[in-house]
Amino acid sequence: MALAQTFFVFEPLLLPFEHRNSPTSQKYLIETMGGGIALLDYDGDGRLDLFLVNGGKLEDPSGPKPDFARGEPAYGNRLYRQTGSGNFEDVTERVGLRDGPNVYGMGVATGDIDNDGDVDLYLTGYGENTLYRNQGDGTFRGTGEAKAGGWSVSAAFLDFDNDGWLDLFVARYLEWSIATNILCGTPFHAYCRPDKFRGVTNVLYRNEGGGRFRDVSRETGIGAIVGKGMGVAVNDYDGDGFADIFVANDGMEQYLLHNEKGAAFREVGLEAGVALSGDARSYAGMGAAFADYDNDGRPDIVVTNLALEKYALYRNEGGGSFRYATLESGLAAQTARHSGWGVGLHDFDNDGNKDLFAAQGHVLDNVERIQTGLRYEEEPGLYWNRGGKFQAAALGLAPVAGRGAAFGDINNDGRVDVAVSVLGGKPMILMNRTGPPGVTVRLRGTKSNRDGAGATVKAKGQTVYVSTGGSYLSASDGRVHLAGKVERVEVCWPGGKVQSAVIGPGPVATITEKP
Amino acid sequence: MIAAVMILLWAQGVSPELRQHAEAGLKARAAGDLDRAIREFSRVAELAPDLAAAHANLGSVLFENKDYGKAIGPLRRALNLNPDLAGVHQMLGTALLAQGLAGEAIAHLEKVKATDLLGIALVEAGRAREAVDRLEAALAQHSGDPDLLYYLGQAHAQLSRGLFGRLMAGTGARAEQARGEAAMSAGRSAEAEKHFRAALGARPDLRGVHLALGELYLLNADFARAEKEFRAESQVAPASAEAAYKLGLCLANLGQPAAALTEFERALQLRPGMPETALELGKALMATGRDGDAARMLEKAVEWEPESGLAEAAYLQLNTVYRKLGRGGDAARVMEKLQQLRKRR
Repeated sequence: MALAQTFFVFEPLLLPFEHRNSPTSQKYLIETMGGGIALLDYDGDGRLDLFLVNGGKLEDPSGPKPDFARGEPAYGNRLYRQTGSGNFEDVTERVGLRDGPNVYGMGVATGDIDNDGDVDLYLTGYGENTLYRNQGDGTFRGTGEAKAGGWSVSAAFLDFDNDGWLDLFVARYLEWSIATNILCGTPFHAYCRPDKFRGVTNVLYRNEGGGRFRDVSRETGIGAIVGKGMGVAVNDYDGDGFADIFVANDGMEQYLLHNEKGAAFREVGLEAGVALSGDARSYAGMGAAFADYDNDGRPDIVVTNLALEKYALYRNEGGGSFRYATLESGLAAQTARHSGWGVGLHDFDNDGNKDLFAAQGHVLDNVERIQTGLRYEEEPGLYWNRGGKFQAAALGLAPVAGRGAAFGDINNDGRVDVAVSVLGGKPMILMNRTGPPGVTVRLRGTKSNRDGAGATVKAKGQTVYVSTGGSYLSASDGRVHLAGKVERVEVCWPGGKVQSAVIGPGPVATITEKP
Repeated sequence: MIAAVMILLWAQGVSPELRQHAEAGLKARAAGDLDRAIREFSRVAELAPDLAAAHANLGSVLFENKDYGKAIGPLRRALNLNPDLAGVHQMLGTALLAQGLAGEAIAHLEKVKATDLLGIALVEAGRAREAVDRLEAALAQHSGDPDLLYYLGQAHAQLSRGLFGRLMAGTGARAEQARGEAAMSAGRSAEAEKHFRAALGARPDLRGVHLALGELYLLNADFARAEKEFRAESQVAPASAEAAYKLGLCLANLGQPAAALTEFERALQLRPGMPETALELGKALMATGRDGDAARMLEKAVEWEPESGLAEAAYLQLNTVYRKLGRGGDAARVMEKLQQLRKRR
């Protein structure tokens, strides 16, 4: 399909952001991992805004406790508000997001933590994390909650105990610091493989209400599971009404954390068939998507990884079991030469099948010198889903070092757009012009959490789970997207209550949970 | 050795001082104090510079102390004074070999018929053809010795390199094939491809060249081009199980499990009992919905190769297929096997 029919690059004049990763000859690992991006409607005007996480300043070499210069405009995060004309204005200072702790920035998660109707913001990084509460007056305030510590990468809000408050899962990567960094590779120095460092535990915070978050990692079993977490995606894979968590780990087994009825989590990746490739090999798990690609009502999993590993697709076979379906889905041949990070399964052409999008680019900025045939900068990948078989689309976009990817209907035209963060570069805003419009549905929880996170929306054979998480370092539109002329949907709210709702005309609809 | 030389020393009516140092050296050596023994025997060698036994003693203690570099000098002097000291030849040959002086070591090792060390020295000196028989003989005495196996392998590799060197110095299809294989081994894909194409230009029906080209493309995950080459190899070598197996791999990766299944079945007919083929056939059967057949084929894979990475993959797939077939007990059993294998790694 030609470029003009799919995406075009939309680079608003008022979006001068350039991600700063400050590459050094020391090859500090954080340099190649960053670039979170979020699509969120922070001011509740119905239009998606854009948040970009910056890296920070690094000296070459850096001292053990560097000043990342996050207060300097070039190294700071940015919030861009979408105006009525479809442009974006920088409102970072105005909303109080200019200042923050001295951390090297990584990712972002979004969710309404206090059920007050506006989106709150959680930022991860090397050092500590920051939870910003949206005060409802167009400003944010740091809460000092859920700092985690160490090196956090992706995070996701979910209501794991179905109490109506969004909890928070934070994936952490390695036991690494600037002081313990080592040089790897000869004759060319390269970023070290994760097996050179120990793994760490992830963190689960329970929302206690009143803006308070309590670390429940130990009592839920999360604190006993050591990994090398990168991407996080949430869905209820066994239909028991409780949100499960998938963690993409780098260079080791992938984790599927089964939610034991809101009380604890059990790691079941290997027995469920999602820990390894079909050859029982581990790989460099980066980003993850947890969605139903084959319209059988059960969520499947896609994990992006490095070139020559092939993106992993695990088809949910029911009964708590998955099958490695990378080969027969055509993804092996389509992705074997690509390195993927942010990823999403969304129906971009509104044909009723969720397609696959991945931000791409190798982890090593000098990979061309190390391995012929591989590229550091790559074009983002779009893989059309044709009845369960994936076909690569020719987008004709510029090759970049893609990292994060956030998904959402930016211009409310009933089509899913994409925002891609670029390591050390400008983000790509890809406006979707493909096919007929579908419908974008917003849930309003009343008994459930206000976002309806953890609900499932079904219509015309499509099943979509409500979550802003998934991908890599990124947060997506909390609304769900359905293809075709949808007049009636079925919503299964967290906990299992089912509600049928009629959708009015137009590309955007809201469904409120019945009391 | 030392005792024998000492007897020789005492029998020659030496001075009391020399005798004192010799006895002290002997005692120190017996007590395991090799540093003192070296000092004493050094003094003996100074006092009796023309006495072969004096240098032999010093050399042997240095040798015992694994100080091969320093042992070489005294041992050489001992043999200059008395070329018939067999034990000194043995030590000097070994010390020279340990210092990487294989060419010089050979003569000394030949004198004492030290077959194993001689074989190794010959390999290191680049005389592989002479080394092979000696290493085979030594292996017959010391079955499974890893050093001997290593050097025998090296000897054959040297011979092989020599043959291929002669081949590649020439022209023609085989020379191009050999050049392509060498370039492929060195990771020079473009050069390898050029030589393989030249080989096929000279002899389109040359077996193994399409196979190598297919492997080259497979390494770079270019499944579509690899498929063409494996199909071509199957044309020129219809009985090649390897070509059928690899064609199946390409087709599976291209999302054509039914076609892949046909090739894996053909490969298994051509070469029965191959666990790799059974594993891939099992996976293709799963992908085409034939779960019962898949389970049986995967069971064969682990029967034929119960402990390896391949077995891990087969157990992993068996877990999935058993669960789908409702055989929870079997799934738990293979998971336990899988966990055991992974822990053992």
